[in-house]
Amino acid sequence: MLVRLIVRRLIFLIFVLFGLSLITFGLSHIIPGDPARLMAGPRAGKSAVEKIREKYGLNDPLPAQYVTYVRNLSHGDFGTSFTTRRPVSEDLKRYLPATVELGAIAFVMSTLIGIPLGILSSVRRDKLPDHIARFVSISGLALPVFWLAIMAQFVFFGRLGWLPDGARIPIGMDPPPTVTGMYTIDSLISGDWELFRLSLVHLIMPATVLAYGSLAVVTRMVRGGMLEVLNQDYIRTARAKGIAPQAVIFGHAVKNAMLPTVTSLGLQIGLLLSGAFLVEIVFSWPGIGRYAVEAIQRLDYNATMATTLVIALIFVLMNLVVDILYLFLDPRIAY
Amino acid sequence: MSRETAVGTESAVAPVVREMPAPAVTSLTATATSQSQVRRNLRRFLIGNKLNLIGLIVVVLFLLLAIFGQVFAPYSPYAQDITGSKLLAPSLSHPMGTDELGRDLLSRVMTGTRISLQVAVVVLGFAVVFGTLVGSVAGYFGGIVDEVLMRFTDMFLAFPALILAIAIAASLGRELHWTMVALATVFWPWYARLVRGQILSIRERDFVAAAESIGLSGPRLLARHILPNAVSVVIIQLTLDVGYAILATSSLSFIGLGAQPPSPEWGTMMSTARNYFREAWWYTTFPGLALTLTVFAFNVLGDGLQDALDPRSGRR
Repeated sequence: MLVRLIVRRLIFLIFVLFGLSLITFGLSHIIPGDPARLMAGPRAGKSAVEKIREKYGLNDPLPAQYVTYVRNLSHGDFGTSFTTRRPVSEDLKRYLPATVELGAIAFVMSTLIGIPLGILSSVRRDKLPDHIARFVSISGLALPVFWLAIMAQFVFFGRLGWLPDGARIPIGMDPPPTVTGMYTIDSLISGDWELFRLSLVHLIMPATVLAYGSLAVVTRMVRGGMLEVLNQDYIRTARAKGIAPQAVIFGHAVKNAMLPTVTSLGLQIGLLLSGAFLVEIVFSWPGIGRYAVEAIQRLDYNATMATTLVIALIFVLMNLVVDILYLFLDPRIAY
Repeated sequence: MSRETAVGTESAVAPVVREMPAPAVTSLTATATSQSQVRRNLRRFLIGNKLNLIGLIVVVLFLLLAIFGQVFAPYSPYAQDITGSKLLAPSLSHPMGTDELGRDLLSRVMTGTRISLQVAVVVLGFAVVFGTLVGSVAGYFGGIVDEVLMRFTDMFLAFPALILAIAIAASLGRELHWTMVALATVFWPWYARLVRGQILSIRERDFVAAAESIGLSGPRLLARHILPNAVSVVIIQLTLDVGYAILATSSLSFIGLGAQPPSPEWGTMMSTARNYFREAWWYTTFPGLALTLTVFAFNVLGDGLQDALDPRSGRR
């Protein structure tokens, strides 16, 4: 069953990626605009533009261009970035770890705060914890993450001076020797505690801001799941048997209430990935979100398409993992 | 009763939850008893719940500003004054301060409402029409038509919506109308699924069988008897989505897709304001506050409407 699920999802994934590549390729070639001219720059002569056109096969018919595009993609070749003039795949390798580090910490934060908060609010319904939880879950979905980022920057860097305004480590410092590309882990590997502390300090603000939206989702889901479960007959039975309230909540209710939360993991991952686009540029965080936004702003076509494709791929794969997890958590589910 | 405020129902805000088959709202139009229940629920919705009332007031204010904002704005949103009034802090003459070109921020924020409303209307109008078309064809005909249409729809739902919109908008071009196209592309699949689910459950009901027995079929049956019963569910979703459409537009504008300066679109304003966050707190604060409040109000209203129109939610 597990194998069937994975195979089915992977086949669907291929269709999805094919679709996205077709959409983005199609749209960008219907719209007037000359990538060769963009690549050559405004001062380049006619012959230089023509040379680039020749080199990148831009004179070929569209279907032929698309086939080349897909063939290159399947080899992990996303083309060359017009702005950094490096292969896009190299750029991605450089910037992806920063995003993974930021996203992972935000994910851990939202889970560690959201689950207890959701449980507490369902147990203390209509009391203070519940009001806090409701405030978090409703504001988290209405607050624009980029605005929250700028506001946090203004308060904690601009006014209070407690936290740095951005970047991964202070300007002028050398990053730790690259192993994973994640500065916190790399600095630990190299045994540099000061660098570890600094990279954590730099992570606090961007990760917290990024976590807020998904914290709202987790809290909401846990609270909803708990309220649903707490009304069930078996909970009443457990209480009637005289089991201690804590044991009923943690022993009987929480596990079942977690199921909708696990389903929402996919949504959370989506929130974190799209949030990364907006948070990273505010905090000058050199991840793929910022890379993509800069590529968009400079009309760097290859880099834009590659990052969105890669992010979509991450999203779909993570959701597959969530589904498999679900299969283990709830044996009643059959795919 | 007012215990279940907007945050209480975990429905509809999260896309995951949208995948649930829509609630039995459809029964509302069928019988007289549930008609009066709707009225009772609506009264409860407005009077019993302060949050809903606040949401409604903000939404009405937003709509009024979007329509008349330019008339009431104290200054022109584009009038520059770089000599005397650059980056002025909020005061009586400029309640929200001024920006780096000396433009009055209150006037710009007020004018920005119209852009947001326009985008929401165009994007969601397209999404509802196209989504309903696809969803009702899939739901009504079933079989292979359903399978093909829904797999096509699922393809769009396989990505985080904002990132798909960014990809599309980036390949189309950096203008507001392209952003609208991109957003419509990511919003319609939700309506297709919603409407399809509704149709599937409605067509099993007795009154449809009755209509069929007197010889009705095809588009006429669909349009006259089935679709009207799906309207309330679509309206709830629509109310929630207005907020998200506005938020998504501003997010895209913030990263340089969508409205371009000197447009007073909120996201565009904040994109520039970001450079002045140290010396002019008011510059980002007010457009962001306006955006947050608008999205919040539409969320609350959508959630509240769902509570009022969905008989099941009262019991919980």
